[in-house]
Amino acid sequence: MVGLIVACVIVFVLARLAVRNLSVDNPSRLQNFMEWVVEFVHNTVASAMPLHMAKKFVALGMTIIMFIFVSNLLGLPFGIVTEVAEDHHGPVTFLGFELISAEEVEEAHKEGKHLSIAWWKSPTADLSVTAGLAITVIVLVHYLGITRNTKHYFKHYIEPYAIFLPINILKELSKPLTLALRLFANIFAGEVLISTILMLSWVGIPLMAVWQGFSIFVGAIQAFLFTILTMVYISQAAVHEEKH
Amino acid sequence: MEFLAAALAVGLGALGAGIGNGLIVSKTVEGISRQPELRGTLQTTMFIGVGIVEVVPIIGVVIGFLLYFGA
Repeated sequence: MVGLIVACVIVFVLARLAVRNLSVDNPSRLQNFMEWVVEFVHNTVASAMPLHMAKKFVALGMTIIMFIFVSNLLGLPFGIVTEVAEDHHGPVTFLGFELISAEEVEEAHKEGKHLSIAWWKSPTADLSVTAGLAITVIVLVHYLGITRNTKHYFKHYIEPYAIFLPINILKELSKPLTLALRLFANIFAGEVLISTILMLSWVGIPLMAVWQGFSIFVGAIQAFLFTILTMVYISQAAVHEEKH
Repeated sequence: MEFLAAALAVGLGALGAGIGNGLIVSKTVEGISRQPELRGTLQTTMFIGVGIVEVVPIIGVVIGFLLYFGA
């Protein structure tokens, strides 16, 4: 939860700082960088859908790519995890709020398992966040398909033959599932590996450096992939005018 | 038993990911060698393809973690 708010604040501050003192012949470095991001997103959107529709979705694309990229990077520098002590009885409370109930503590300690609370991790390392993003995007895709392209949208379920109906329904169901799971699994697996490499203490420092670099790369790729798949799904649902 | 399940999940997933990614990148390299001016477009499409192919093996890795650390 803390990570989510931090990610939102960072993206908002970045965007607001970039548009202060806009200037055409003397742009600041941040303005230059943001203009490059806008152009990159615009090219991405334009590669998926016809040009006259592309302008409307650049804002959506920019929000998605910046938020997901910043969220993916947040868990890399450090993670704060506290463990519940072996002889702790009763519920785990924080500032008066009960975090883990007494029964769960007893059950876990009886089986010899460790209970740990993660105070800081990437927001996207949580299935709830990525599922929220995926569901929002898919609801948007279907809404755009129904409002802009009603006849073709409903007709595409039985294209090319009526026998394809279950396959098309499965396709529509698997889109939000794979969108959410792809982002979650990539970032979560990266974080688990970071904590695994930490177990090697000082021997694993070069390996940790390599893995952090790779995680930054993976975070950028996953953000870009989410954006471009969103645009492709939107164009599949809402743009059907180029009939043969 | 759970360790065996985790190992199977990750191993077979890695096999699929390796073969799939190898096919994608080799075709991309072939395409770039035929038309060097399309390098940017082909690279972008390659990354998209890798992202799509790697979904299921990475889900397998997460299942492996769940089995391993939940054991």
